[in-house]
Amino acid sequence: MNSYKLSTLSLTLRLMIFAGSAIGLSLIISVVLVQESVKNHFAEQDFGELLVVTGSVERWLDSIDGNMRLAQDALSNAVSGHHGVYFRVDADSGEQLFLSQGGDFLSQLNHVDAAKSTNKTQLKNWQLDDGFYRGLATEVSVDGQSYRVIAAMDMSFHKQFLDKFTIKMWLMMLAIGVITIGATWLGIYQGYRPLKMLSKQIRNIQTHQLDERLNLDILPKELRNLAISFNEMLQHLEGDFERLSNFSADIAHELRTPLTNIITQTQVGLAQTRSLNEYQELLYSNLEEQERLAKMVSEMLWLAQSDNNLIKPVFNVIDLNSEVNELFEFFDALATEHQINLVLIGEKISMHADRALLRRAFSNLLSNAIRHTPPGSTIQVVISQREKKCVEIDFINPGKPISSHHLSRVFDRFYQVDKSRSSDSQGAGLGLAITKAIIDTHGGQITVASDSVHTVFTVRMPV
Amino acid sequence: MRILVVEDEQKTGNYIKQGLTEAGFLVTLSSNGLDGHHHAMTESFDLIILDVMLPDVDGWKILRSLREAGKQTSVLFLTARDSITDRVKGLELGADDYLIKPFVFVELLARVRNLLRRGSLSNVSEQVKIADLLVDIPSRKVSRAGKRVSLSQKEFLLLELFIRRQGEVLPRSLIASEVWDMNFDSDTNVIDVAVRRLRAKIDDDHDHKLIHTIRGMGYKFEDEIEADEQL
Repeated sequence: MNSYKLSTLSLTLRLMIFAGSAIGLSLIISVVLVQESVKNHFAEQDFGELLVVTGSVERWLDSIDGNMRLAQDALSNAVSGHHGVYFRVDADSGEQLFLSQGGDFLSQLNHVDAAKSTNKTQLKNWQLDDGFYRGLATEVSVDGQSYRVIAAMDMSFHKQFLDKFTIKMWLMMLAIGVITIGATWLGIYQGYRPLKMLSKQIRNIQTHQLDERLNLDILPKELRNLAISFNEMLQHLEGDFERLSNFSADIAHELRTPLTNIITQTQVGLAQTRSLNEYQELLYSNLEEQERLAKMVSEMLWLAQSDNNLIKPVFNVIDLNSEVNELFEFFDALATEHQINLVLIGEKISMHADRALLRRAFSNLLSNAIRHTPPGSTIQVVISQREKKCVEIDFINPGKPISSHHLSRVFDRFYQVDKSRSSDSQGAGLGLAITKAIIDTHGGQITVASDSVHTVFTVRMPV
Repeated sequence: MRILVVEDEQKTGNYIKQGLTEAGFLVTLSSNGLDGHHHAMTESFDLIILDVMLPDVDGWKILRSLREAGKQTSVLFLTARDSITDRVKGLELGADDYLIKPFVFVELLARVRNLLRRGSLSNVSEQVKIADLLVDIPSRKVSRAGKRVSLSQKEFLLLELFIRRQGEVLPRSLIASEVWDMNFDSDTNVIDVAVRRLRAKIDDDHDHKLIHTIRGMGYKFEDEIEADEQL
């Protein structure tokens, strides 16, 4: 369900979510990094200064030889030149010995751990009543006497600067974010314009203009494949649609001819009183036309059922050779009358197929071959195993070549190579269409080829 | 011979009744399943033609009651389209044959005669003489007016079919099915050609013709002189 929902989410929104979070995340990371490095820079600077102050206090303590009264003035000078830096010196006992001027805040600190060596990690931040301070507490040993030196500086200034800097930074990043996301959206929107154009082109195609094709030149590379596939689909549709239209037209034509015959004959017959014989003749003649109609309708019905997958073959094991031989026996009289030889060449092959359907298919091919073979020649049926799971049956008949224009359409319904032939009694031109449908339901293929000497119908079927 | 026709479609029922009556049968027509069931159970028929799609009591039920009551009357059922399950069901229930609607009357008549003959098939003797045509069925020897006629295997089968069903009109589809086991309408006039070739061997040299074309329906094998005499 979720993936379905995700897949129906607007593409623009999807891209915007991805692009927006990427841009936002990278901006946040850069703000944090810049902020950190600025903070670090300040801390380093401060540490250096506090170290210098602590160092000079130590040197001064050394020079006064423990005489704290003497030291008062000297210590006051120790931080001259270091503006904003204050310090306090405690005795080992914790008693405050000295507090530099302006460093009153330092007396608020009580328990400060002092370290012997000095190291940046010992920098401490204090937030006292009147501001932010940064300091360094160091244990100093002079002439066997231990002191604790706490040097500190007012950080409020830094802090103010940093706060301002951070706000500026965020505002800047916000602006950058808005601009880039906006640009992305515009890019995506622009990117989809060809899609909109494509959909407009597609919308304009109606059934009566299936010969239209999408214009590939105005499309970006990514959409060209889609358009090509669409054009191919159009081509199939155009072909099928045309075939269907022709089929309907042909049905109408094929039905109209016998119907008109029946009507005309009956009207003429009824125009005056006739003898019994003449009436019988009329009924016979009508019967013939009606039978043609009935046959055509049942064949069309069969094809319609087959189109809708309603023809379900009943598979049995069939010996192809004996099947073809039985068909030869059936057509023997007809072939002999046309002075045509029927020859079967091939190995013994059995396969799974619906016997009745297969007979019908092959019978259509054979009768078609007999119809187009000149007297005195031979029709060959060649059975061969092409691949392990495929059998090939060729119906080869000599005769007039079929032009390639007709060749592609011989399996179409009602299609007749020789249009003048349609009026004879040889069926309405559905035979090969039925054959193809039967071969298709068996999962096989049927093709036709024709050269100056032979016409070959080739059936390939899974064994 | 008495035939019961159970068919709810009036037009079909009427033409079946007319056709069978004219072919010499005594026909009772029931236009609904209830009547049909009553007739089938209480009277005795040689054959029942049963439409399985009936509005009230369907054909299957009539067939089942009939067999449960131990009646072995031949039953031919009519089924719509080519539903294989229907065919199988009918034959399993004990029907003897079926016909797919819509059908041609000649086809129905041929099947009816076939079913009615079933019990007496062996009556066709091994040696048959029709007019001056002599046929020895086991040895497949045929002679006309004392002259030997040589027939191919299928030609003989065709002649045998004609002889067994003398006087009946045989539709082309039935001939194709019985002789060649081809159960579809061929685009070609194969049957006409085959019959023509058989005729050339049997009838052409003789004035007294035995094979007759019945226009619009099929072929009939009959010694018409004898048939006329019987009338």
